Amino acid sequence: MSNIVNIVIDGKEVEAEKGAVLIDYLFKQDIDIPHFCYHPALGTDGNCRMCMVEIEGSKRPQISCDTPVKEGMVVRTQGENIEQVRRDILELELINHPVDCPTCDQAGECKLQDYYMAGGFYESRLEAESKVKAKKAVDLGKNVMLDQERCVLCTRCTRFTDEITHTNELGIFSRADHSVISTFPGQELESDYSMNIVDLCPVGALTSKDFRFNQRVWFLESFEAICSGCSKGCSIHVDHKKEKYKDDQIFRFRPREDHDVNGYFICDDGRLSYKDENDNRLNDASINQETVSTKEALTNIADVLTANPNDTLLLVSPFLSNEELALIKEYTLNNGTTLSGYSPQYYDESFADDMLRTSDRSPNRAGMMALRINENEKDFNELLSQKKVIVVIENSYFEDKAELFKDKKVILFSSKDTKVKEFANTVLPVASFLEKDGSYTNSESVTQHIKSGIRKNAPVGTLTSLWKAIESLSKEKA
Amino acid sequence: MGIKTVKRHGDTLRDKLYIPAIVSGMKTTMRHFVTNIKDNSNLITKSYPEVQPTDITDRYRGVHRLTKREDDSISCVACYMCATACPADCMFIEATERTDGVDEKMPAVFNIDLLECVFCGYCVEACPCDAIRMDTGIFSFVADQRKDFILSKEALLANTRSKDFSDD
Ligand code: SF4
Ligand code: SF4
Ligand code: SF4
Ligand code: SF4
Ligand code: FES
Repeated sequence: MSNIVNIVIDGKEVEAEKGAVLIDYLFKQDIDIPHFCYHPALGTDGNCRMCMVEIEGSKRPQISCDTPVKEGMVVRTQGENIEQVRRDILELELINHPVDCPTCDQAGECKLQDYYMAGGFYESRLEAESKVKAKKAVDLGKNVMLDQERCVLCTRCTRFTDEITHTNELGIFSRADHSVISTFPGQELESDYSMNIVDLCPVGALTSKDFRFNQRVWFLESFEAICSGCSKGCSIHVDHKKEKYKDDQIFRFRPREDHDVNGYFICDDGRLSYKDENDNRLNDASINQETVSTKEALTNIADVLTANPNDTLLLVSPFLSNEELALIKEYTLNNGTTLSGYSPQYYDESFADDMLRTSDRSPNRAGMMALRINENEKDFNELLSQKKVIVVIENSYFEDKAELFKDKKVILFSSKDTKVKEFANTVLPVASFLEKDGSYTNSESVTQHIKSGIRKNAPVGTLTSLWKAIESLSKEKA
Repeated sequence: MGIKTVKRHGDTLRDKLYIPAIVSGMKTTMRHFVTNIKDNSNLITKSYPEVQPTDITDRYRGVHRLTKREDDSISCVACYMCATACPADCMFIEATERTDGVDEKMPAVFNIDLLECVFCGYCVEACPCDAIRMDTGIFSFVADQRKDFILSKEALLANTRSKDFSDD
């Protein structure tokens, strides 16, 4: 009945689940076993031989990625013997490796480098000139660059295109020393998830064309967040950096392992959506197209809101966090304004697929629904025709519909520089999605929290802080 | 961590009076004064800038230069090792694709702010390509605007090894 067995790892008695893959169990114990080909999403392939451990009773070291946990097993992951085995395998992996770390974007997060530094340190026994040459800087399409010389032939990438995306673009060509990864002649990568092979590749053989030569990874800082590309809300790492004399800037998104949401991967569109955060930002507050201070704009907005509460429609959007939506909803309840979350423009059926992507390209519609914010079309159109003051908060609905603003007073809160600005009476910039803290609920009702790590030189206020300022200004007047 | 208390010097009455120290200092000054008045042919002080130093050694760390390969193209591959090692954080590099077939990567921008540089030479030590050196022998660098102290890639490439130094 019992599935729990007793095993010994490095002299310590522990309990493990019978039949589990040994390497998985070692990872859980925070024992970092060097490995190239094994990946929890792709399973065992057993080709790299890097994950060897000593198991008492077996003649030779065994690969831990293909060894099931058995009762009474005695495993050694350290010791002179096993470390010598690892060094020898690493030496084999490096025989034809170009060691061009200075020009390689993977440097700093490369498994070859890490394992070498952890235990290599042998003298090279091969002349640099006699190394087998192959193609470098091959553009595989979909923002993926291939360097065949750096490849350790772990087949993670080919297994990804075979088993995960089922697009089968990649394969291994030629034999022995001359084996290389490539696409079939004339073919390019086509999956919308292709860039995941950049993360999967343990070395610098597959790198991102988008990130190419932009930064060295050890300069980057990182915080955990979610992608706002669709209502799936995939977990990501945001890699950013504030360089000397420059402003904080995001350089890339990487998927974050999260078994409640996205598993191990993210889609390419979501991955590249970091650009939206950097580009096209709204920086200045304005009243009737004239730049004013934030203070002046706030006073102006407070005046308008206190003067016509019953004639005001607040239009929020599913890009706002649960906290922001709750704050504005409470304001509406207390002050007699009306509230809508109408935002059909974020639906895009063509974006949905059967992996991660959904047809709703906004991160928090479920949160908006949970707060019972009305997004009914008929109600919205009715309110729009009745109300004289329209407050648009991070909602792009009017982007191509500015004619609807005729005879209205328009207040715009936006993190983006939009055309709507030209038709708005008062414009106030707000912090963008990743510049603020907040929680978001995805289409599967998983709520995730973002704690932003971005520190801009001149940060614009978050919606929460600005809204609270407006509330207290209104109170002063009343 | 334990704290080690070190006894201060200068606590004695003789030290606190200052006079004995001043007198002994003046004695040295006067001795040099008299010697130099009598014979000024071997003064250590030079009338710089009319008289330039002649004793700069090959190991002297002067203003940087970027070296070139045998085909006269830039050696630097924009790996940022120097910028990573630099304690003054005064190297500003932007990498770009290199298309001439010599290598994959090179700097589009390579600026060193000499006002921030502490001339430690760590950048030279860190470079895996022998692409940056401080062997120009340039010990004095003059400009009247801050921005002119920022050496560009072109300026660094134009600098050469000091003629006074022996061949590599
Ligand atoms: S390209 Fe990378 S992931 Fe693919 S086989 Fe080579 S090393 Fe493995
Ligand atoms: S599936 Fe949606 S949430 Fe996930 S990365 Fe793509 S756009 Fe972002
Ligand atoms: S000499 Fe020192 S301070 Fe100056 S650029 Fe080189 S590493 Fe930086
Ligand atoms: S000078 Fe040397 S260390 Fe600095 S970026 Fe160029 S190659 Fe790298
Ligand atoms: S990770 Fe076990 S053989 Fe490659």
